[in-house]
Amino acid sequence: MDIILRLAWRNIWRHPRRSGLTIAAISFAAALLIFMITLQFGSYDMMIDNSLRVLTGHFQIQRTGYLDKPKMRSTIADAPQLAEKLRDINGIVDIAARANGFALVASEERTYGVQVIGVETAHESNLSIIPGRIHSGKFLTSDTAQEVIISKALARNLRVTVGDELTLLGGGRDGSIAAAVLPIIGIFQSGMPDIDRGLIEMPLATFQDIFTMENSAHVLVGMVKNLTGLEMLLQQVRAEITPNPTEESPGQRDLVVLDWNTLVPGLRQMIQADMANGWFMYGCLILVVTFSILNTFLMAVLERTREFGVMLALGTKPLFIGKLVMLESLLLTLLGLGLGLIFGTAITLYFYIYGFSYPGMEEIGAQFGISGAVTPQMSLFAFTLGPAMILLFTMIASLYPALRIRMLKPVDAMKSV
Amino acid sequence: MKSLELNPSQLEHFIMQRYNIFLLLFILWIPPTFADQKTTDIVRAAINHWRDVSSYSVSDMIIHRPNWQRTMTLRVWTLGMKNSLVRVVKPKKDKGNANLIKNDEMWSFSPKTSRVIKIPSSMMSQSWMGSDFSNNDVAKADDLLKHYTHTLKGSETSYGHKVFIIEAIPNEDAPVVWGKEVIKVRADFIVLEHNFYDQDNVLVKKMITRDIKEMGGKLIATVQRMQKFANPQEWTEFVVTEAKFKINVSERTFSLSNLRNPRN
Repeated sequence: MDIILRLAWRNIWRHPRRSGLTIAAISFAAALLIFMITLQFGSYDMMIDNSLRVLTGHFQIQRTGYLDKPKMRSTIADAPQLAEKLRDINGIVDIAARANGFALVASEERTYGVQVIGVETAHESNLSIIPGRIHSGKFLTSDTAQEVIISKALARNLRVTVGDELTLLGGGRDGSIAAAVLPIIGIFQSGMPDIDRGLIEMPLATFQDIFTMENSAHVLVGMVKNLTGLEMLLQQVRAEITPNPTEESPGQRDLVVLDWNTLVPGLRQMIQADMANGWFMYGCLILVVTFSILNTFLMAVLERTREFGVMLALGTKPLFIGKLVMLESLLLTLLGLGLGLIFGTAITLYFYIYGFSYPGMEEIGAQFGISGAVTPQMSLFAFTLGPAMILLFTMIASLYPALRIRMLKPVDAMKSV
Repeated sequence: MKSLELNPSQLEHFIMQRYNIFLLLFILWIPPTFADQKTTDIVRAAINHWRDVSSYSVSDMIIHRPNWQRTMTLRVWTLGMKNSLVRVVKPKKDKGNANLIKNDEMWSFSPKTSRVIKIPSSMMSQSWMGSDFSNNDVAKADDLLKHYTHTLKGSETSYGHKVFIIEAIPNEDAPVVWGKEVIKVRADFIVLEHNFYDQDNVLVKKMITRDIKEMGGKLIATVQRMQKFANPQEWTEFVVTEAKFKINVSERTFSLSNLRNPRN
């Protein structure tokens, strides 16, 4: 075994320039794949994170059926207390209750139908970007404050500004008429057109009071530290919200824990479409590299026909020569991949620290919820995926030259040039 | 050699000619159930019977859901086709809320805010006070007359009364959401059934009336139940407990200032 390795190693360096070029080609392809795949995965993480950060959160707890038919009466009883309890689970950044309603809002001049959300003011900034996107005025001050914040486009349509009063008219949880007059304390701009056109937020307790919700809410919104471990964490949440049979907890049955993919099915579809696109390109790249390597290997074997003939005549088994050729390709590929991994990691690490962006990316990214620079994803999977594919395909490519040796006849081979 | 191809205008002409022939065939095929004035008169009489020149009524509105039910008591004034005023009497929590409907427009007043909101036209197909009636159902009393073509589809007999089955198709430019409405009107102009179909001719919701009694000097259906066809468990019932017709009510009752500061 030792002799075959030494032979292979020496054979590689019989043509240092050719081997060097092959190694360079492999390492370039590997480095490129590592950089592109980590960047692509990084941009997906960003898309998911940013679009969920607007309002949806990483997961939500709702009453069964609320997702399809958000009815005012499908509520979670004592929602803030339940959120408080779940907040202790390790891995959850924050979780809080929200109440959703629909109301007509009127200014002095105009009336629009809008979505009204009641939020736990102390936690909302961990769950949504809206508290951080206050355009003028300020965010809701406390859970019982009689005030609202309103989206910028809606404020423009209603012709109101900070300090003006809004009249709300809607239907409460018990079917009663919900009405209130509240001052606008802040105007926000989320960057999402749908939200900016028709959303107002108010403190949860104020919402509960106006819409006769008692202490209930419609959803619990949660954010986690690490999205990759989400499903395991959700199992834990599910176990936590299942009612204890010894305890009387009416109304808490019937709750479902939904991950972001169920809440926003379009997001994953968009990513999958983009991924398919990406795979096609990577496939082409790998194929081109494979063929160039196949060419090198084939050349190396063909020009050594005479040499192999002599070896066969001296009693070397064809299997041994086949193994030798395979080992040469493997060594060559591994050298290339090793170098590629070093370069690829270096590039990725650089952009991981400084972020990747190019002029004009901000505008394109905005529609996918990507702002500014993309950070590549530093995961083992993203790093090894490209090199592993290259290794697989080059090994398949080197099979052909290795198998050719079995067809050689010693005398004929020795006669060839 | 001359080209056999038709130039674009010739082609268009050719197509139009063929189209016209199809159109003619199509028109000739329509069965002879032409809308007639008599049918429209029945619809008009039915609406007039219900609204009269003016009216005052007290009704209970029962909103029913599978595991929940709510009753509101309402006082309603109407004058002609264009003016209606609704005030909530019970429950206590909603007392004082009021709606004014004038010329197909709707305003809402709530004592909690002591402000009047005009319901935007985009919201007119939304639910009225959380019920299965839409704002349009409540506001547009004579839409069925103004924007529809009526066809008598047949008649049947119910408890010894002749009942006309009338199909109403909205005119081409009518500002309505329905594709078709079918009403059943008794010979004494009491509406027994009102079915609403969408643009694809699928039944969306239906109103059925019952308990025809003498009230306010004439026979009226005292219970109207509106329900979504897809959800028979959910309905809203309007139960008239008191009614007067041809009352003396002035145009001033139906003003924004009276909505805000009730004088009646």
